Amino acid sequence: MSEFSPIFLYLVISPLVSLIPLGLPFLFASNSSTYPEKLSAHECGSDPSGDARSRFDIRFYPVSILFIIPDPEVTFSSPWAVPPNKIDLFGSWSMMAFLLILTIGSLYEWKRGASDRE
Amino acid sequence: MLEQEDAFKFHFREGRRTMILSVSSSPALVSGLMVVRAKNPVHSISFPIPVFRDTAGLFLLLGLDFSAMIFPVVHIGVIAVSFLFVVMMFNIQIAEIHEEVLRYLPVSGIIGLILWWEMFFILDNETIPLLPTHRKTTPLRYTVHAGKVRSWTNLETLGNLLYTYYSDCFLVPSLILLVAMIGAIVLTMHRTTKAKRQDVFRRNALDSRRTIMRRTTE
Repeated sequence: MSEFSPIFLYLVISPLVSLIPLGLPFLFASNSSTYPEKLSAHECGSDPSGDARSRFDIRFYPVSILFIIPDPEVTFSSPWAVPPNKIDLFGSWSMMAFLLILTIGSLYEWKRGASDRE
Repeated sequence: MLEQEDAFKFHFREGRRTMILSVSSSPALVSGLMVVRAKNPVHSISFPIPVFRDTAGLFLLLGLDFSAMIFPVVHIGVIAVSFLFVVMMFNIQIAEIHEEVLRYLPVSGIIGLILWWEMFFILDNETIPLLPTHRKTTPLRYTVHAGKVRSWTNLETLGNLLYTYYSDCFLVPSLILLVAMIGAIVLTMHRTTKAKRQDVFRRNALDSRRTIMRRTTE
């Protein structure tokens, strides 16, 4: 447990690093000269025409789903790479089967053109 | 004397473990509650991030260092991002409806009761306070000598078991991911004809002279 103490040190340091730049302007900023137009969204000098939040098209959703796929691949291949002499051929080929199934999905994605630009 | 020192060290270590347990589990519980209770959907998808972080701390407490490393990477890096995509897809102004709080209570209450009931099977009854079976006895303290032997690391253990003994379970996530992939593509891909697509070969094959000539002769 004690070998993780640098991580806990970082848990202290990283909030400080992020909170100090956030909090320092509150000490020095003057609150008197704030007017609502200054706080509004800047739209190239013209008045804002609506809310900046807009809906995303559903077509962008596969981007995030297809982004998930390499993550388990990497996660599962790191324990696979450590004891290659203990797991015999079967162990290495089960990883290959895992990759093959995901490759089928990637090929489908490629052929359907899901990651093409339109 | 030596024994007393040992006992002190043991207590100190236990106290530190308890401190880490409470420091990492109580923000996790509060943030988990805030996921449900937050009015703004953007807030309620940013509250899982402390939950995942503190759960990684709990994994560290159990000595599962590989899971503690992978858990934030996978969950914050990918799952939270895909939740963010979902939130960006619905209209936030409409979504901030003040919903009735107790609407889902029957279903979630039953699930919560089942989970609470299962806890009694996992935990020893001695460790739960405020229970009638709780007796004023000091729990037996014992040392797991098997754990003291320098054994395999987490990564080696996982690698030795996951790809051989549990290879069938290992292939199940790949099938789930395949279904997720194909499902997302099938559900979202409808070829719009409105978008102008560029065909590189046809564009390169165009003869500019002919196009201009036709324009001018017409």
